[in-house]
Formats: sequence, structure tokens, C-alpha cells
Amino acid sequence: MSEGGDELDFSVVDPTLDAGERAAVIALLAECGLDYEENIEALVVCRREGRLVACAGLECNIVKCVATCPDYRGENLSLKVVSEVVALAHERGHTHLFLYTRPENVSVFAGCGFYPLVEAPGYVTVMENTPIGIRSYCNRLKALRKDMPRIGSIVMNANPFTYGHRYLVERAAEACDWLHLFVVAEDVSLISYRDRYALVAEGVKDITNLTLHHGSQYMISRATFSAYFFKEKGIVGDCVSAIDLLLFRNYIAPALGITHRYVGTEPFCATTLKYNEDMKYWLQADVSPAAPVAVVEVERTTATGVPISASEVRRLLRNERFDRIAEIVPPATLDVLLKNYAPMRRRSVELPPGASEAEGWQTLASLPGGSRQ
Amino acid sequence: MTLRRSMLFLPGSNAAMLSTAFVFEADSFMFDLEDAVSLREKDTARLLVYHALKMPAYAKREKVVRINPLSTPFGRLDLEAVVRAGVDVVRLPKTDTAEDVADLETEVERIERACGREVGSTRLMAAIESASGVVNALAIAKASPRIMGIALAGFDYVMDMQTQRGDGTELFYARCAVLHAARAARVDAFDVVFGDVNDEAGFLKEVDLIKRLGFTGKSLINPRQIELLHNAFAPAQEEVDYARRVVAAAAQAEEKGLGVVSLNGKMVDAPVIAMAERVLQRAAASGVRQ
Amino acid sequence: MNIVRDSIAGTLESNDLLVKVSPAQDEGLELHVNSEVIHQFGAQIEAVVRETLSRLGVTNALVLIEDKGALDCSIRARVQAAVLRASDATGIDWEALS
Repeated sequence: MSEGGDELDFSVVDPTLDAGERAAVIALLAECGLDYEENIEALVVCRREGRLVACAGLECNIVKCVATCPDYRGENLSLKVVSEVVALAHERGHTHLFLYTRPENVSVFAGCGFYPLVEAPGYVTVMENTPIGIRSYCNRLKALRKDMPRIGSIVMNANPFTYGHRYLVERAAEACDWLHLFVVAEDVSLISYRDRYALVAEGVKDITNLTLHHGSQYMISRATFSAYFFKEKGIVGDCVSAIDLLLFRNYIAPALGITHRYVGTEPFCATTLKYNEDMKYWLQADVSPAAPVAVVEVERTTATGVPISASEVRRLLRNERFDRIAEIVPPATLDVLLKNYAPMRRRSVELPPGASEAEGWQTLASLPGGSRQ
Repeated sequence: MTLRRSMLFLPGSNAAMLSTAFVFEADSFMFDLEDAVSLREKDTARLLVYHALKMPAYAKREKVVRINPLSTPFGRLDLEAVVRAGVDVVRLPKTDTAEDVADLETEVERIERACGREVGSTRLMAAIESASGVVNALAIAKASPRIMGIALAGFDYVMDMQTQRGDGTELFYARCAVLHAARAARVDAFDVVFGDVNDEAGFLKEVDLIKRLGFTGKSLINPRQIELLHNAFAPAQEEVDYARRVVAAAAQAEEKGLGVVSLNGKMVDAPVIAMAERVLQRAAASGVRQ
Repeated sequence: MNIVRDSIAGTLESNDLLVKVSPAQDEGLELHVNSEVIHQFGAQIEAVVRETLSRLGVTNALVLIEDKGALDCSIRARVQAAVLRASDATGIDWEALS
């Protein structure tokens, strides 16, 4: 019982390859007062008699840029195009999806199987495609809750774990009855999540009033805070961190009874600096029904007069200054950097016996903590 | 004699249509697992149709399922599902030869035995969608006693013929060939779908043509076409009046034990009586033509 | 039947439902039903889903239902489709589907 010529024709296009479709989508979004967002990997486009009437974009597990032509509203086009993009995401292995929309459009997407998580007031709402996602996550957290007066928290990427991270954890653990430490799980950093988590675990194992947590989709993930990972793109708006911070304040902190959040001062990176400033606002100001979480900034520790930072480590790594790295990271971190993140060096190890090893390698082996048993 | 003027297509993946379409007065319902269902939905459409076939609301209606060709990965699973669910008729798409029907019959019989269904109770219908199908129409129509009808499907046929849909000229030979094959094999003949649901006049013109040619019925893609079709197939008042007289005369002759039926002094033979019964059946189903 | 991957079946159009099946987070069967007619038919929907899962031998899974007023037969079909997509089973036991 199709409607003959009125049939909707759905297709999937790669916006990086199909400039024509990309331009048509940009025009449709503009008609709806929306901007095209970069990083979209696939676009579902819906045409009727050749005319673009609806679109939806997918970036990993995030649905964005959903628009329907104003002439065709009321025909449930949103549902159809969102259903298509959800099916596409499934085919690509993404089943837990997030969707960004304007707060006034939440009801449209509620009809498409998405549930509101948090709103950056008046600006954007993030939804997820499950009614139990954040709830069951919080239930799992609640099992690890400590009922003590002062519960601290740190969320770190630890890319890689340095003496600076160690210092921050020590200060927080001293100041609190219990400390919840989260490692950002999104695997888009130089150091793999597996290595980052293992190094944090190694680096804090002697601290007894601490729970180490795997990160999740709900904290500093691509879904909640993509700008964090794409700093170079320069898309740092006013509200980019609001979603992430409000998720923390509204769901994660109450689940664990967190009263304080610790963060190192940021002397280098503008995005992180902005994040720290935003944190003070979104976690403490009267912007949420949830109780405030006190933000404590800890002055960064220094090595040879310079504040320690993971970005400095990565810079040194690019320049193969392992001697300098050894001064600011624990031995375990140096070990992993040598083993997994120094490809030039690694190749020299694989030289056949008798071939001369690179000079740098000999130096490294003699460094403190540089042994490779 | 089953009335089969209208055969309504229902996309097998559309749960809403499957669970409400029984309100329409189509003579047969054709659940489609083939072209109306995207590759992604083949498995779930098969299950929707499997359960829809068992719905009490469809119990008294003739249920046809268009399965995917047996050469696809879906065909045998479709068949397994629908034969087990009690389908009345399996419609085989893209039938080119009598062997296609024989292959289908072998599978159907195997499934009937496996699930304890009476062997032979699943009827078959062959859709002819190619030049070879049209040329082999008679052999196809006679390929199995299970065949209840053959249908012309225009979309693939015109492509195979290297032409396109137009005023009907392009289908002229195929319609006549399929119809003759069906009548010679004593099975029903079904005409193509009419795609443009908004073109009522065009639809009625086509219906008038196929009715005059002698088709049993037509495949429909929109419920709005059902009543239009049934009205066009309904007899005129004078046809009904004449048919009543013929049937009454036949009944009278039967009662008196006469071997010959006569009306107004003329002998009436068996085909005329059968025709009159068909007219009355159509009138009973949808009244006199408006 | 073992649930080994995430799957989805159905739509959110009226008279239909969307079924999501995933491997169990904890041991056992976790079922969540959301429906436009939850007050009237919530219990019945849940009963149909549970019966369908039980016939398929699904005992460990997370099952989410978004119902838009589907009939029981559509619920059975969509649940079965989602389970078959999520399972490692190769054949279909038609008796378990009826």
C-alpha cells in the first residue's frame, strides 16, 4: 500500500566524499536554523521526488544535525529519518546512542526512543536511546558508595600518568575521607585506554582510601564532551562542557555521595583552563536541582621549576627526550612509553643480533626506570 | 468458486498495516516479503507475517504470501514460515518455467509433511514477470494441481522487454498470453498493479480493459482502489436480472429432473449457467454497478 | 538461546514496537517495558514478552521494549526477530515461535 510517487527514498552518504549531498544538507539545516557540524561520518538523507526533505548525521555513537523540511512536518519524517540513522549506527556497531538537540525539540526525539539526560539551559539537550542507561550506570556506582562526610573525586585522562597526577591524587586523598578516581575511557588519546588505566592503577595502588573507576560514556566522552578531544578544531563554545559537568553533578556525584571535585591548575592548555573555569560554574552555581559539588584547584607540582603536565610529556615523547620524561613520570609510565609509544626505538630493538643498536637506545636502557625486563 | 477480484498488497515489514488491514474488504490479502521489504528487514518481516497469518481476524480471509525467490537466501525460510503458519496461497515471484513451480512444490510438500499439515493444502500462484515466463505461461499454469492462478507482474516484465509502462500497449501481448494460459489451464488470472493511486480515471480505464479481456482480478497496492475495482466488476442491473432468470430456470429444470434447461424457449447450456452464477456472486458481494 | 550481541528490531511507528536485546549485565533476565498504553496493557505486554522469551529459551538478557500500541502478534514477531539477531543460534526452531 505505498503511495506511488510520494515514496520516501532514504540513502546514506559520506559527507567527506559527496560534496553535493553535503551542500544540500547544509542548506536544509540552515532552513531549520541549524548549523552543520564537522566530524559527521555519515549522513542519512531522505528524498521525496528528488527533493531533500530530511537528514540526520552520525558521528560514532552520536546523532546530530537532524532536520526535516518545514513543508513536510507532521508526517513523522523525524521518526523515519531517526529510525534510519539508528539502524545505520547499529550496522556500524554503535548500539548505545546519544543525540544532541535543542531543548524545545526534546518531545520530537522522545517519540523516536530517546530519553533526555541533561540540558545546558536554553542551549542544548543531550538524550540517550535507552531508558535505563544512566540509571543502571548510577546503580552500579551506588554499590561502591562510601557513606563518609567528605567524598572527593577526580576525573583524569592521564595521557600518560605523571608525577603531577600522582601529586593531585595524594593531595585529594589526604583531604578527603574517601576518593573516587575516574580514568577517561574514550580511546582517542595518544596513549591507549588500557595503558592509561593500568598506569593510573599502578601509580595509586598504595593509596588506601581510594576507589579507581573505569570512565564511561557519561564523563568526558566523545558523547558528552567531544571538544575535549578535538581541541585543535577550535570549537570551544560557552556550553561545550556544561553537558559533561551537569551529568557529573546531577547523576554521578549523587550516586557516590561526592562532595568535592579536585582538579590541577592549568598553566598551558586553553581548553583545560576553560574546563576548570566552567567546572566551578556548573558544579557550584545555582544551575541545577542537584546539590553543588565543591571544586578544589590544586596547584600543579613542578619538576625543575616547570609545572608537570601530560601534554609536556607527549611533546617530549615526540622529540624523543626520554631523559626529560624520566624526571616527570613514574618508572612504570616510562616503561610503557618506551615499549609501546616509541616506534623508532622499537624498530631498533628488532634489529638482528650483531647489527648496531641506535645510540639513543643504549642511553635509554641506562636511565632510571628504563630497564625492560 | 472463490471470488478473487481484488488482491491487496501489504508490505510484510509494516506491523501497523498487517495488524489493521483486515478491516478492508479485499477478496484476498497478499503479504509481501519480496520487493516491499528491504534486505535489512527480511527476517523480521517474515516473523511479522508468520504471526499475522495466525491472527483470528484473518481466519476467514484468503491469505496469499509473496515469498522471495528460492534462489535467494530468504526464499526457503519464507516458505518454511508461511506454510507452517497456514498460508492459503504461496505466490512465487519471477516464475520463468514450469520447473520453478515444480521446485517450489517439492519444498512445500516437504514442509507440509514436516509440520503435519495436510499435503496439497497449500495452494500456489505463479507470478510471471519476464518474456520467458509469458512464453511458458501455459506450462507454468499446468505445472501443478496446486496452482490456483497466475499473475502478470508488469514492472520487471517491461524491463525484460526493453520497454516501459505506458498506455497498456506494452502489456497487450503479455496480458492476452497469460489470460489464455490461465483459462486453458482452468486457473485464475490476475492483472498487474496500477501504481498511481491518485489517478482514479486511469485506474478505472485499466480495470475496464482487463475486465473485458476476462481477467479474474487485479493486484492492488492501496485500499482506496478496492471499492473502485469491486464496483467496476459488479454487474449491471439487467445482467443481474437475466442471471436470476437463468439460474431460476436451471433450478426448475433440476427440480423437474430435466436434462435440458430452457429460457424463453431457448436452450441454455452449462457455460451460460456458470456465467450467470458468477454474475450473481459478484452482485451478492458488492451489489449492482453504480 | 544465548544472547551474544546487541540487536534491535521493529520501529517506533504506531501499532509497532521497538525491541532491543543485549547480553545480560548481571545474571538473569532484565526486562523494561515502556508503552503509550502502559497503564492499560503494561502487564499484558510484559507477559507476552516473557512468554516469547521463555519459549525461545532466553534466560540471560537485557530486553528493552518501546511499545507504540502493537498487537500481541507484532510483539511476538519483533521480540523473536531481535532475539534471533542477538543470538548465536544458526537454525530456527519453528515450534518455539508459534
